[in-house]
Amino acid sequence: MSYYGEGVERMTTTQKVQAMENLGLNGPLYKQYINWLSNAVQGEFGISYKYKQNVTTVIGDVYKNTIVLGGLGYVLTFLFALLLGIFCTLHEDKLIDRIICKVGVVTTCIPSFWVSLVLILIFGINLGMLPSSGAYAMGQANNLVSRLEHLILPLVVLIISHLWYYTYMIRNKLVEEIRRDYVLLCKVKGLNKKEIVCKHCLRNIMPSYISIMAISVPHILGGTYVVEKVFSYPGLGTLSFESAKYHDYNMLLVLCLLTGTVVVFINMMAQIINDKIDPRMKHDRSENDWNDNTATLK
Amino acid sequence: MERQYGDFEIVGENYLSYEIKVPKRKTFREWIKEKPYISISVLLIIIVGCVFPGIITKSAPAYMDLSNTNVAPNSTFYFGTDSLGRDIFTMIWYGGRISLFIGVFATVISTTIAVIYGSISGVASELIDDMMMRFTEIILSIPSILIIIFVQAMIGQANPVSIAIVIGITSWMNISKIIRSEVRQIRNSEYILAAKCSGASFFYILKQHLLPNFISAIMFMVVTNVGSAIGIEATLSFLGIGLPLEIISWGSMLSLAEKALLSNYWWIILIPGIFLVSTLVCITNIGDYVRRNNNKEFSNL
Repeated sequence: MSYYGEGVERMTTTQKVQAMENLGLNGPLYKQYINWLSNAVQGEFGISYKYKQNVTTVIGDVYKNTIVLGGLGYVLTFLFALLLGIFCTLHEDKLIDRIICKVGVVTTCIPSFWVSLVLILIFGINLGMLPSSGAYAMGQANNLVSRLEHLILPLVVLIISHLWYYTYMIRNKLVEEIRRDYVLLCKVKGLNKKEIVCKHCLRNIMPSYISIMAISVPHILGGTYVVEKVFSYPGLGTLSFESAKYHDYNMLLVLCLLTGTVVVFINMMAQIINDKIDPRMKHDRSENDWNDNTATLK
Repeated sequence: MERQYGDFEIVGENYLSYEIKVPKRKTFREWIKEKPYISISVLLIIIVGCVFPGIITKSAPAYMDLSNTNVAPNSTFYFGTDSLGRDIFTMIWYGGRISLFIGVFATVISTTIAVIYGSISGVASELIDDMMMRFTEIILSIPSILIIIFVQAMIGQANPVSIAIVIGITSWMNISKIIRSEVRQIRNSEYILAAKCSGASFFYILKQHLLPNFISAIMFMVVTNVGSAIGIEATLSFLGIGLPLEIISWGSMLSLAEKALLSNYWWIILIPGIFLVSTLVCITNIGDYVRRNNNKEFSNL
């Protein structure tokens, strides 16, 4: 249906049967799936019904955009989360910390698509400062400034909607850490607050920080998908929404496969890095860690 | 009175003599001060308004007044009208009914699945437990929005029930993980053994012994799940793969936003959004309160 678009209504029955035959849509569902699977193993992912091209070529055109947006958002989110977490710990229970906490809780509640709408309304329409859709202005695909301009709003939304989640975790860990005995020793030695937190406490929370980073990949990736759609930024997210809308199952299957693979791969990498940083982690695996995180989430 | 010990003395850390504090009777003001009263009252207003929209507004939500499209807020249309000429003030209350319904229903589904799955995993043997937990981890590692899109695409045209089911079956993993670790801790206790010996079935043990033990641990996640389900529904409807335009909910009201953006009709975007966000913030606040309450030590009385 999505292959022929509007034309479906004009087709005769025989044409329809013929079309079904061509696209391999006859036969029961499980047979189609096995068919797809056996092709996929051989690197044949079939064609996208909507774009009438190989799925791999369609994805090949846009995946870089998602990597740029998601990657930048990921790095910046964790950078800011770390800085804000340290800042909150240094000013624990002071007015500024409490204000940040309250605002942070509110930002996690706001759905990211609404933040993007409001930001587009303010900056895109009313002030006219920033472009609000696409990845670059017409015919300026290689213009770096234009690309950056288009990245600002999606990035801001991505960061706003995920920042507090991680800042809160880091703040909790740090606040726990500065109650330890060695911090007192450092204080006696005459180190100032900043030095203690940055040099000693941070090193101790690093393993859990990294495992949080690994767990958060699907979270931020999911966020990227929504943001991409709102800003109609050509990337995997927009693609997956489009293919869901037009019942482009081949595309959707491949996108799920791709995302899953990336996530599993990154999780494995995080495990390896963790083992390197802190050999203690090898014994009590991520089980405890994960429970900790879910308790501190929200 | 001081205790006199005869020939023996009780030693060790198990013997602690401390005063039992008799909780003072709280005045109403003190009692209310520890509750998130602002959130509760705002949420209550929204809930009552959405359940009985007839009290607040007299006009029908789906009535399209084509002579009054895109009217800015004024005294007849308190919140203005959308591009189909529908009164936003009326739609907010009627739409909220569906949004809240989806939130609650999706949570009921996800919690039921989580309770059953988590307890089976908790009482099962090591191998099966391992397999079940790996399975949840695999699902958790895929972005949930992608799973939801996938399932939604399979189902096709959405209605409130189907969308709630989709959200429900994709958001039970976190709760079931908590339940599983709680059940693991209590599964070897004597009373469970006793119940098993007297021939209790799995569901009986679940209902009588397991559920009361972990209910407080998952309560706050259940509350926050209601919020996130409402948020997901709004996101889906906004993106055009959730509820269609005719079924009014906060999400489908916002799906008109993209057209409204270009012509700068701010009320179509801001007003449903503000309702949505304030509901979510209230629910999160209450969830947070529930969690803090659970962390308190229970009295031994």
